[in-house]
Amino acid sequence: MMNRRAFLSWGTAGTAALVSAVGVSCGALLRFLVPSVFYEPPQSFKIGMPADFSYGSPTLLPDEKIFVFRDRDKGFSVVSAVCPHLGCTVTHAADQKFHCPCHGSIFNANGTVQHGPSPRALEWYEVALARDGQLVVNKDKVVPPANRLMV
Amino acid sequence: MTMKLIREIWQSIVRRDPLSTEKGKAELVFLNVWLHIHPAKVKRENLRFTHTFYLGFITFFLFVILVVTGILLMCYYRPDPSLAYQDMKDLQFAVFMGPFLRAAHRWAAHGMVICVFLHMLRVFYTGSYKRPRQFNWVVGVLLFLTTLGLSFTGYLLPWDQLAFWAITVGTNIGGYAPVVGPMVREILLGGHTVGEAALVRFYVLHVAVLPSFLILLCVVHFWRIRKDGGLSRPLWKLKSAPPEPEPELVTIGAPAASAPLRMQAASREKTYGLMEVVTGKPIFETILPEEEEDSVFSYPYAFLRESIAMLVTLIGVMAVSLVVHAPLEELANPAKTPNPAKAPWYFLGLQELVSHSAFLGGVVAPAVMVLALLAIPYLDRNPSRQLAKRKWILAIFTVFVVANVALIIIGTFFRGPGWALVPPWVHVAGGTE
Amino acid sequence: MMEKRLQQLFFALSFLALALVVVALWQASTPEWKTYQRQFHQLEAQGEPDAKARAALLEEPLEIHQTMLTGLGRVDRCTTCHLGVDDPTMKNAPEPFRYHAGLGPHVQPKFGCSVCHGGQGLATDRENAHGKGGSSEESLLAPEFVRATCGRCHDQGDIPSVPELTEGARLVETRGCHGCHKLNGKAPAIGPDLTDEADAHRTPEWLEQHFQNPAAVTADSAMPNEHFNKEQVRALTFYMYSLSSMKMANYYLGARLIPGAAQGRQLFAEKNCLGCHAIGGVGARIGPDLKGVTGRRSAQWIDEQISNPQMMYPGTSMPDYELGINARKSLIAFLGNATPEDAKSILSENKRALSPEQAVVESGRLEFMHFGCAGCHGTELQGGTPNKNAQGGEVPALVHLDQDYTHDEVLNVVRKGRVPPLEKANGPVPPLYMPAWKQFISEEDIDRIVAYLYSKQEKEKADEAW
Repeated sequence: MMNRRAFLSWGTAGTAALVSAVGVSCGALLRFLVPSVFYEPPQSFKIGMPADFSYGSPTLLPDEKIFVFRDRDKGFSVVSAVCPHLGCTVTHAADQKFHCPCHGSIFNANGTVQHGPSPRALEWYEVALARDGQLVVNKDKVVPPANRLMV
Repeated sequence: MTMKLIREIWQSIVRRDPLSTEKGKAELVFLNVWLHIHPAKVKRENLRFTHTFYLGFITFFLFVILVVTGILLMCYYRPDPSLAYQDMKDLQFAVFMGPFLRAAHRWAAHGMVICVFLHMLRVFYTGSYKRPRQFNWVVGVLLFLTTLGLSFTGYLLPWDQLAFWAITVGTNIGGYAPVVGPMVREILLGGHTVGEAALVRFYVLHVAVLPSFLILLCVVHFWRIRKDGGLSRPLWKLKSAPPEPEPELVTIGAPAASAPLRMQAASREKTYGLMEVVTGKPIFETILPEEEEDSVFSYPYAFLRESIAMLVTLIGVMAVSLVVHAPLEELANPAKTPNPAKAPWYFLGLQELVSHSAFLGGVVAPAVMVLALLAIPYLDRNPSRQLAKRKWILAIFTVFVVANVALIIIGTFFRGPGWALVPPWVHVAGGTE
Repeated sequence: MMEKRLQQLFFALSFLALALVVVALWQASTPEWKTYQRQFHQLEAQGEPDAKARAALLEEPLEIHQTMLTGLGRVDRCTTCHLGVDDPTMKNAPEPFRYHAGLGPHVQPKFGCSVCHGGQGLATDRENAHGKGGSSEESLLAPEFVRATCGRCHDQGDIPSVPELTEGARLVETRGCHGCHKLNGKAPAIGPDLTDEADAHRTPEWLEQHFQNPAAVTADSAMPNEHFNKEQVRALTFYMYSLSSMKMANYYLGARLIPGAAQGRQLFAEKNCLGCHAIGGVGARIGPDLKGVTGRRSAQWIDEQISNPQMMYPGTSMPDYELGINARKSLIAFLGNATPEDAKSILSENKRALSPEQAVVESGRLEFMHFGCAGCHGTELQGGTPNKNAQGGEVPALVHLDQDYTHDEVLNVVRKGRVPPLEKANGPVPPLYMPAWKQFISEEDIDRIVAYLYSKQEKEKADEAW
């Protein structure tokens, strides 16, 4: 066998290389398992021109499951219409509150839970203006209820 | 305090003596479930690269690579004709390291077929199939056929033109077998032509049935190596050795009534196996005392070499996968046969024969070849393993190997549209792909 | 000693294995499209005055952009690199970032890109996405032919901005391509099925050469050389690229007819609206006069009236024509400008009343055209198309049928088809033959076609008498 010093330097370096190779491979494995494309509707999507939306009562987009609010003074805001409890679509009542038909959760005008089994408030999503003038909603970006997009 | 606890935890898992001791080195092997298929000590001669070229080990390690890459690929593949091809495209374009993994899987598969074939050649040329290793040769032939089956079933999964027509041709060749041919073909395809049902069945065979079968066969194969006395003696040692005495063996359990039992004095240096004590006869080939000293512990000598073999295999597969992409032709189109339509390369020799006669080439030739392979250890009455004393069988076997390889080369490079004989350096216009 | 060397080898190989894993990871982490996305973000940032927004732009994650078009059966990833397609500020940006003007309703999220431009939507690198020339399934269609793909969805009526398609369709109808070529599965198989021929594997150059001279691109082609001129060749190539067996969801099918006043006029005449209505006094007086109706009623009202007459006027005798939305839009477009002259010309077209015999012959003539008989027998029944090893070497003329055959024999040949007698008995079978038309044409229509053929005989004879 070789002398101990040579063994140590070769040994440690080589083992380090092998261990690193294994570690890097594990990282690669994890990244491989995370999908790069999703066969689902996109999280960020355009909803139309600002002029398409009325002031006053919000517009429900049933496929995207969001309410679009348009305030004359403050602008646009978008809130999720999915109840955080078990996923039903909430309704917007005349009293400006959100009601869930499934288990009776009631949310205030800013989305916080007033009553019922929902563990969390309704999420407000970022809405921005795209270059072609349309409104873009990004469900990956949750914003505080007070956020508005002035157009 | 904590050091004591850590040591206690460690020693509850690793219960052997330290590796610096001889006892520890032995215990590493026979107390470890993953390693105990090895002998604690191994003959130095068996470690030589030129003894076996480590081909059996490399073949098995390629299988391990295939299982790992295969399972990963399964996360992104659905075995349905309307989905499979798109999943292949997604693997190529929209999955992190998708092209690399797919290439690794394909090249490791080709490598495994080649290595299992080379391994068979090595075992044959060293006469290592002779008594007491006949049955292990048979298990080896079964492993070879299972490997071809795995490659064949996997070939269909991309569902491109190459896959579809190669399997159409392959299953049609199989359908020529007498009596059982059409039924086996129908069971394989789950129908009359290659379609949805065929894809699902081939998928089940490829990911579940055949790998399990291969693993079971490997278990028997490795077990038999140990029980048959380890690797056979190298050829270069046969020349200088005295004429080999008939290895004295006894079967476990009651011997045939007519076979006399003979007693043999045991070596003082050797450790006994339980079976030897019970039956009074050593199971293994008797080892001459001077060879006892030529044994070394498996750790680290054997494991170091095995690790090198593993790394070489891994590096080889990775390097090829980085440089050569796995091909993908256009979507399978049952209405459009490519011209020429070729079976996978390892079946091209067969297809070449089939082009002359479907029955002779597709049924008789492969059946005869497989039966001949299986029968070799039983038909070969010559007890000698020395090359000089085996000229006839060596010649016959070599002829068959060369013929097969030549047929495959012809089928790959010299057959063009319409199966016409066209040298590869001549470009043929008008053939549809 | 050996062991030392082997240990060194083991450690060296470990490094090599690590290196290769790292290389594989690096290869997977640096695809082409990431470079393009970074460039685009920088381009966007350049035009952004606000520093905070600029920083946010440069930090945008790099990811594959995918548009799922289940209604068109495809998935497009073109916008992974072509990021400025819907951004008007990128009008003058270099490709691949340039804005795509003039899309109208054909926006990228609803239509993707590959349905018009060809190419491989699933790919995420340039070479595979754009293809290397060849069929448009695998590679981009040349820019001058992209307009042809409008016809893949808009296969009814005319497309205003693509007159080549109108001309191409007219040529196909009148020159008899259907006689040999299958189109959407409904014709004999003397020549190849054309439905996906262009889309699947023909380049524009090949198609144009083919129409100029079939024998030049396909050896032994039995297709006659029709001597098309350059415009006709182009029109036919356009027509080929508009054919597709692609299946579409209803969302797309509803818009096959592009609404236009010309289509509206055609429908107005077809549905015989003047049977109850008048325009400026010209027509009938059962329903209201339609002149200037679009000034009195909103388009929505008229649309409702056409699709649901009973709702507007319960008890009305106006039938429900079950017209699609684009058909109704066309009618309304026509009514917007309809004049009494239009009504007069429509009425005069109808008044060309034919006698029953003339009607049968005219119908037969239309069928003769429609089923492509002219492709082999000629538009004037003159025959002459070369047919290798057939007796006479060519497709026969049809102007002397009454001298050579009985009426029933002619009917049978049309019904059951016929392989022409061979010139040389041991020669090849001629490529052109009479198909068994009874698979495709009803008995009544066969009678009408034969009546048309006989009508042409008599005329010839009458000429000869002179």
